[in-house]
Amino acid sequence: MVSDAMILSKEYFMGNMVNIPLIQPIVDYLLNVPFVGYIVAILLWKPMFALLFIPGLTALMIVLLFIIWFERKLTARIQWRVGPLEVSRPIGGIIQPMADGLRYFFQEVIVHRDSHRPYFLQFPILIFIPVLLPILFIPAGSIIAINTPYALPVIVAIVSLIPVFIIAIGWASNSRFAYIGSVREAFMYFAYEIPFIFAVLAMILVYGTADTTLIVERQTIPGIILNPVAALVFFIAMAMATSRLPFEIPEADQEIAFGPFVEYSGILFGLVMTIAYEKMYILSLLMTILFLGGGNGPAILLLGDLSGAIWLFIKTLVVMMVLAFLRSIYARLRLDQALRFGWTTMIEISLVALVIGVIINILGWYA
Amino acid sequence: MMSENVEEMLLEVPVQPPTDLFLPVSKKFLEEAYRNDEYVVLVGPQHPGSGHMRIILRIRGDIIVEAIPDPGYVHRSMEKLAENRLYIQNIPLFERPAIMDTGNMTLGYVRAIESALDIEVPERAKYIRTIIAELGRIGTHLYDAGILAIFLGHTTGFMWPFAIRELIVEALTRISGTRITASFLVPGGIRRDVPWETLEFVRKTTFAVERRLKGFEKIFIRNPSVMARLQDVGVLTKEEAIKFGLVGPFLRASGVEYDVRKVEPYEAYDMLDWEVPVADEGDSYSRFLVRVEEIAQSISMVRQAINALKNIPEGNVISEDVLGEYRDVASSDIRGYFYKVFGSIVPPAGEFTTLTEASRGSLLYTVVSDGESNVPYRVRIITPGWYYLKGFMESLRGERVADLQAIYGSFGYFPPEADR
Repeated sequence: MVSDAMILSKEYFMGNMVNIPLIQPIVDYLLNVPFVGYIVAILLWKPMFALLFIPGLTALMIVLLFIIWFERKLTARIQWRVGPLEVSRPIGGIIQPMADGLRYFFQEVIVHRDSHRPYFLQFPILIFIPVLLPILFIPAGSIIAINTPYALPVIVAIVSLIPVFIIAIGWASNSRFAYIGSVREAFMYFAYEIPFIFAVLAMILVYGTADTTLIVERQTIPGIILNPVAALVFFIAMAMATSRLPFEIPEADQEIAFGPFVEYSGILFGLVMTIAYEKMYILSLLMTILFLGGGNGPAILLLGDLSGAIWLFIKTLVVMMVLAFLRSIYARLRLDQALRFGWTTMIEISLVALVIGVIINILGWYA
Repeated sequence: MMSENVEEMLLEVPVQPPTDLFLPVSKKFLEEAYRNDEYVVLVGPQHPGSGHMRIILRIRGDIIVEAIPDPGYVHRSMEKLAENRLYIQNIPLFERPAIMDTGNMTLGYVRAIESALDIEVPERAKYIRTIIAELGRIGTHLYDAGILAIFLGHTTGFMWPFAIRELIVEALTRISGTRITASFLVPGGIRRDVPWETLEFVRKTTFAVERRLKGFEKIFIRNPSVMARLQDVGVLTKEEAIKFGLVGPFLRASGVEYDVRKVEPYEAYDMLDWEVPVADEGDSYSRFLVRVEEIAQSISMVRQAINALKNIPEGNVISEDVLGEYRDVASSDIRGYFYKVFGSIVPPAGEFTTLTEASRGSLLYTVVSDGESNVPYRVRIITPGWYYLKGFMESLRGERVADLQAIYGSFGYFPPEADR
């Protein structure tokens, strides 16, 4: 047991530090510097490292910058175009999302007369709570912020909160297109929620635990091979949850002009626009943990603890790239078609996934 | 220099939204909708999915009970403008309504003047006119396919047809010198002869278009999500299609085999081997498929016409009837003699009507001449968009609001063309 005096001391943080052989000499030197050593110890303390660097904020920023650029570039290449290029021509316009973000910053934020002003301004910021909280329960190798046996239920519960915030955004906007968009968002949530939970449940049965760290440890065979049906259901539910085509129904710009977010401008629009991508990041992380073996992979000795994190990051990016690819091959379905699909085909397949999970659970594969 | 004693002036001018908003429907209509537990939605004219027109929808739940069109936002009074221009000056005017369909649009007007003046067009000019008309048809159908795709949220399906259309535009550029509005057709023929190398380029272009269309078919036409959106949506039966006066590919999609090019052949259409694509379903998907099939037919027609042109000697492309004394110098190229020849056309008194199969359907021109002035007394144009607007609105009845865009795209409704 750690005594109370030990908590918040440098030694306490050093006892659970990220070990990266590559930069270990520098870290050792810095740890001996007064005050700086304390900060370095906090930063490299595993929960803090998970929160700030990977899979937390830094990784999220890199993912956001990369995936928006990648999606635009990939779509452009498929469509016989060039895509973002003019900003930073030598590196293929990869900092275009940054330039767009800068532009959003300097645009006027218009709050129209009919909106519910406090909520209209607050929700785009408040929505980051459910969007970012699940990161705490995602293990990147041995780096994890909160280690709990209830990690998966907590993640699913928090992710389910996101549509509530989007509906609230639409309500606060008080515009007819935003209203239709939020109702569509609510309907879409009903369409994917149950298959999504069934798919996660099936994987909990397969591994016999809801602890994300244990799940990754037990995946000597990736989950996608153990229960491919659940992986399929999860992937489709992910596309529905993040409003990817063919389920880009709540934001259909030709029909309802970006739905719940129609009234936003300036940096607030920049914030609400990235929500879908952040949600995509969270769900891709979850998919990597559940089906693709999380941080498992050949250990890179020089990186030490970071090795698992890098594998997790790469796998997540691949999942997101596949999702980005959907945009250029599908048309938008109608709301009733998506609902019918969610309530018939998806539930049927997810029940099959559940049965497979039960069978593997009875056979006791993980033991 | 700014004075430091600047007083801040506050103007007491409260800005209130007007209370008596203009509504393009009667108050009775609104009250009736209210009583029936329905509500009225105005789609357009600034809506991204409506184009330059307004559609007034009466909705019960998610189902459209009634759709009333409010067109006219891009009305350019072409018929009135035409009354103040020389006959020849109206050609650039009348090719403006449709972006890609300039060949067919001018063809109808030019033929009306030819029937008035009783001019026989040289055979070579007939074939080249057919080629231009059919290239325009391919371009228009590709343009409409792109608009349909973007209405369905399919961005690849939007970019590819527009890129394929560039090939057609390039072919038209090689023929006429301008991308789309070339005014290449003149009464009695075409402006100048098209050399063999250009025709060969056009022939090669058709193969390039055909090859790229195969990819488009995979990604858009046979895409399950596209088929799910379009099938059994906006159905018009054969009887309804005839009753509401549909024209062109939209009439043929409902099972009516009617094509002006077959019924009253003009130009070289009766000398080419082609079929009229017909579908029976009458839904949005068949309306789209009929036009896709028409592209294939048009490509075949263009190739046949180019092959036929091999046997026709180059040179005479403008009728001697219209050239008169300039028949020796201007019969293969009108440059330098244009206004000498066409500046003072005065058709005999009477009414001259032609029916043309434009890309989106029948196009009617009526030219009324008083027999003594060099401007038309009256020109009546009825564009296909105006013909099928009623059918378009009727097909919306009973569909979902989200289907509005799918049906709109399946009709390829083009407000500038319908409003003229």
